[in-house]
Amino acid sequence: MANNLNVEVAPLSRVEGHGDLIINVKNKKIEKLIFRIPESPRFFEAMLIGRKYDEPSHIASRICGICSVAHTCASIKATEKAMGIKPSHQTINLRKLIYHHENVQSNVLHVYFLAAPDFFGVGSVIPLVKTHPEIVNIALRTKKMANDMVRFIGGRAVHPIRIVIGGFTKLPTEEEMIKMKEMLEACYPDLEKSLEVLKTLDIPDFERETEYISISDTSDYALYDGNIKSTDGWEIDDQNYLDKINEKVVQYSTAKHCWASRDAFMVGALARFNNNYEKLTDNAKKYADELGLKTPCHNPFMNNIAQFVEIIHSVDDSIRLIDEILEEGLDESKAMAEIKPGAGRGVGVVEAPRGLLIHDYTYNNQGRVEKANMIIPTGMNSANIEKDMHALIPTIIDKSEDEIKLACEMLIRAYDPCISCSAHLLNVKLVNK
Amino acid sequence: MAFNSKNDSNKSGYTKKDVKIIGFGNKYRSDDGIGIRIVEELEKLDYFKNIEIIDGGTSGTDLIFLIKGCSKIIIIDAIDAGQNVGDVVNIQISDVEEFIKRDYKSLSLHDLNLADILKLIKALKINADISIIGVKPKKIDFGDRLSPEIEEKIPEIISLVKKEAGV
Repeated sequence: MANNLNVEVAPLSRVEGHGDLIINVKNKKIEKLIFRIPESPRFFEAMLIGRKYDEPSHIASRICGICSVAHTCASIKATEKAMGIKPSHQTINLRKLIYHHENVQSNVLHVYFLAAPDFFGVGSVIPLVKTHPEIVNIALRTKKMANDMVRFIGGRAVHPIRIVIGGFTKLPTEEEMIKMKEMLEACYPDLEKSLEVLKTLDIPDFERETEYISISDTSDYALYDGNIKSTDGWEIDDQNYLDKINEKVVQYSTAKHCWASRDAFMVGALARFNNNYEKLTDNAKKYADELGLKTPCHNPFMNNIAQFVEIIHSVDDSIRLIDEILEEGLDESKAMAEIKPGAGRGVGVVEAPRGLLIHDYTYNNQGRVEKANMIIPTGMNSANIEKDMHALIPTIIDKSEDEIKLACEMLIRAYDPCISCSAHLLNVKLVNK
Repeated sequence: MAFNSKNDSNKSGYTKKDVKIIGFGNKYRSDDGIGIRIVEELEKLDYFKNIEIIDGGTSGTDLIFLIKGCSKIIIIDAIDAGQNVGDVVNIQISDVEEFIKRDYKSLSLHDLNLADILKLIKALKINADISIIGVKPKKIDFGDRLSPEIEEKIPEIISLVKKEAGV
């Protein structure tokens, strides 16, 4: 039992990159709670200044090894918007297709390798090889499938290089498209088996209602493009993100905290699910239903389940996209749009696996970046993670220190924070006073 | 600014299947980018034209897929094996336990760390002869340049890669 606690866990394992969590509890009351991201995300913004219009997307793709397609697409969309470049319908479909599989790559890694060990009560993915070998093999097969999808379309499994301003430098062949469809169809038995295992997980029963923000579109379950939508009832054009999304510097973190209608909001798979449930495929809805994920869901630990449901949706929707692309016929003449570099401002908003990602560029007359602003999902979630901690800790304060520490770690991991693009080192220390 | 295009899977034209060279790291995190820089340098050299050279970025789990189907794998990475800054180490992973016991730290792989990946490879009973060539970085803050102390080690690292690859 912990009347007084001084909590710092270092380093918080199984989180992309690093960060800190500091909690002080006195007489069962939280005196101090800080989720800190200690390194500057502003480096990349500064690095883009003065760059020629075709450079930012390549630099952006290196911000993160897990979200390279997301950063590439946000960057490309910002530049295309700034210069009035109109990519073809074929390009948009191919971007949506590759986009699905970065989401699958990332969600598989998080659900099976990083979060599942918590729920199975083992320290890491390694013991799972013995206790749940089928899950590890399914994870590897699904990750490999998604890697191959990204490679077929983007030229490489990580940091794809064929996606450029205006379109694609090289299109996949028809044979590759057919092969991709076969790969997708082959993964359903694995997803079915995963469902049975995930149904047995004991997800913590914790709820805190907050504002959920994601992109949203009338045509599909938006990952690549759409308006910015909130469960608090507003929806805005993505170019006007500054009308609603506010950033502030907090003294203890070099990553900014964000707020919109309230003092914090959540982005990521659960936010997408809450805003766009109706656009999921029927099959994905069936999986959500079987896993007890219903909208609106206010349990952040269910973010892991929402990520799994998105894997199903991405597989289903990829097959639909491939059919559509093949039916329309791959056309080299539509691979690249006309590019006329010039001055202007453009905002590229996408859903990175971890949530809303915004790149905002202003170009000068020479087509060089004059101003750049990036808002990354982990930065957006920081304030909400703190609010969740404030609500969670009083409910578990009578548990042992180790249990409190694990619950805090699990909550942060549930957000799948990819701090490598927003910051560097995550420490959580727990010491009795 | 030159962007690497050789890693486009359809342009590679590689024929030699039994050796792979993988550089890990983030080239915008100063010395953490040494693995990627070496990949870029190797691609300019004729010695390596028949060997698959992979820019692995920071995606650690993908090592499991890359390792399958080859008998020898050479990893270049920023590694803290307790050596001095700028010192180059060449570690043979004939025994994963030994690697893990010594608590070598790969600084590049942000999803699972290198020790976890190697444990996973062992647990999955995937056999491969793995060599790690690592240099201890001076700094891994955001930045697009290597420290001079790391930059000057490039020829030494390339010589070791040549030796390991048998070219």
